[in-house]
Amino acid sequence: MGASSCAASSSPRTRPAPDGSASEVRTLSGTFLEPPVPDRSASGRIAVVGVGETDYGHDYRAARAGGPGYVAPDAVTLGRRAFERALGDSGLRREEVDGLCASFPYGGPDPAAFAAALGLAPRHVMAGGGMMPLLPAANALAAGSCRTMAVVHALPSRALGRQYGGQTYGGSGRDSYYYYHPWGWSSQAAHWAFMFTSYAATYGVTEEDLGAVAVTLRAHAARNPNATMRAPLFLEDYLASRYVVRPMRLLDLCLVNDGAVCVILAAADRARDLRHAPVLLAGWAAARVSHSKMRAMALEWLHPQLAAAGRAALGMAGVTVADVDHFEGYDASTIHLVCQLEGYGFAERGQGLAFWKEGHTEIGGTIPTNTGGGMLSEAYLQGWNLLAEAVRQLRGEAGARQVDGAEVSLFSFATTESAHPVVLTRGT
Amino acid sequence: MVQRRPNRVAGPGHDEFWAFCSQGELRIQRCEDCGHWSWPPAGTCEACGQDRLTWSLSSGVGRVVAWCTFERRYYAELDVPWDAILVELEEGPLFVSNPSGFTNDRVACGMRVRVAFVDCEDDAGPFRLPVFEEA
Repeated sequence: MGASSCAASSSPRTRPAPDGSASEVRTLSGTFLEPPVPDRSASGRIAVVGVGETDYGHDYRAARAGGPGYVAPDAVTLGRRAFERALGDSGLRREEVDGLCASFPYGGPDPAAFAAALGLAPRHVMAGGGMMPLLPAANALAAGSCRTMAVVHALPSRALGRQYGGQTYGGSGRDSYYYYHPWGWSSQAAHWAFMFTSYAATYGVTEEDLGAVAVTLRAHAARNPNATMRAPLFLEDYLASRYVVRPMRLLDLCLVNDGAVCVILAAADRARDLRHAPVLLAGWAAARVSHSKMRAMALEWLHPQLAAAGRAALGMAGVTVADVDHFEGYDASTIHLVCQLEGYGFAERGQGLAFWKEGHTEIGGTIPTNTGGGMLSEAYLQGWNLLAEAVRQLRGEAGARQVDGAEVSLFSFATTESAHPVVLTRGT
Repeated sequence: MVQRRPNRVAGPGHDEFWAFCSQGELRIQRCEDCGHWSWPPAGTCEACGQDRLTWSLSSGVGRVVAWCTFERRYYAELDVPWDAILVELEEGPLFVSNPSGFTNDRVACGMRVRVAFVDCEDDAGPFRLPVFEEA
């Protein structure tokens, strides 16, 4: 991974942004693009043919209420529920599911044991091995390892009492999650706070401007019966919510809830015979920071990585950003989502918050964004609920939040150091 | 007064950094091949991948480029609100630290700062921590 370098430079201090934009925004952090040149011939060959989710809102309320008799769900319980719904949704018979990808980032059984728990005897099983195993699963399918692959992502975040900061968190992998303990700096929220304070100073925006993101996504969640947070939210409520890491408020940060998502993949030609219009994986790319993650995140707002990956994914799909009907972006925080809209080119850099305030991201706007409420108001499933929402939109099943004529979706998985866009299109 | 702090990361590379701090020096690894300054400590240059890194003296001068204040408590040792700043040293690296002699009530991005060392201790013993005061 990362052995090949596309936009990365051996002299990063003088290199223009990898999108080659006229603004000549310099990138000091470097970008790895993986794969360097996505294979056009792979476009549209794999389809999502089934989708299932757990009851986010219901389960969250049950967890909050607690009390005697409440049993917190585990990864298997959640994953099984999502799988059964996806199976029912697809119209496939159980024995037709001959591949399984089990994704349990916070722990769970090995894939073979999980297959047995689902009553499957698949030809191919694999572990997710990361937060976004969609493409490895699609690749296994394309390589002929199986004909139908169920990908299950289960995340009992709340049941496990998952913490997102402090000395017990991290300890391996990413420096930024553990290295700064002596200075008292850790947590996801602190990443977003750095990102926003530098952004605000550079572009002259305020905390109040940021509120438009939370308010808009809550309005979307109000149209989604399965969303966790549906009560109306106004800017005054946002401004009154408590700070977690100033200037990030509770309502700037994604939820912590239990849930699972299952998508079932099949070859596109086979998908035509199934119950729903297939949703095609039309283009994808992944880019990550090659060095100086802190700089990329806090001072470049991941724009170089997002721009490089977005251009590659859209190019693979043979569409432009103007063709995208709606956007499902990884909203770990309000500012994270804003930076994605800018990095992919939906909004001008530095104009992302004005873009929200002008209504462009609303359902009915020019680029409806996180139409199910996102991870801020629907559920935190590490992006998988956003993928499920894109599938529903492209099928025309999104009910009160349906984007008229949705044919092209951009789904964006992203972290503090990587961007992984996937273009989905409505097949026939 | 010695401040109690959460534990440092220890080991090769890290221990050298704290030993220099105890002498009142802010030293950062600099690549002999490409000149890039890497922080936190690494085995190879994050910019070019070469492994000839030399602990080089930083001027300790930089500017605040981002800040945050913890209102939720993440560490038993530290009271909230707890201020942190991100300093861009004039040699290039970004350094997560704390303000000294000022608070984030009046922090501003672009503020020029200079390193200072405060006496601290953690489970591994006493050490001197680089923080930043207004320049």
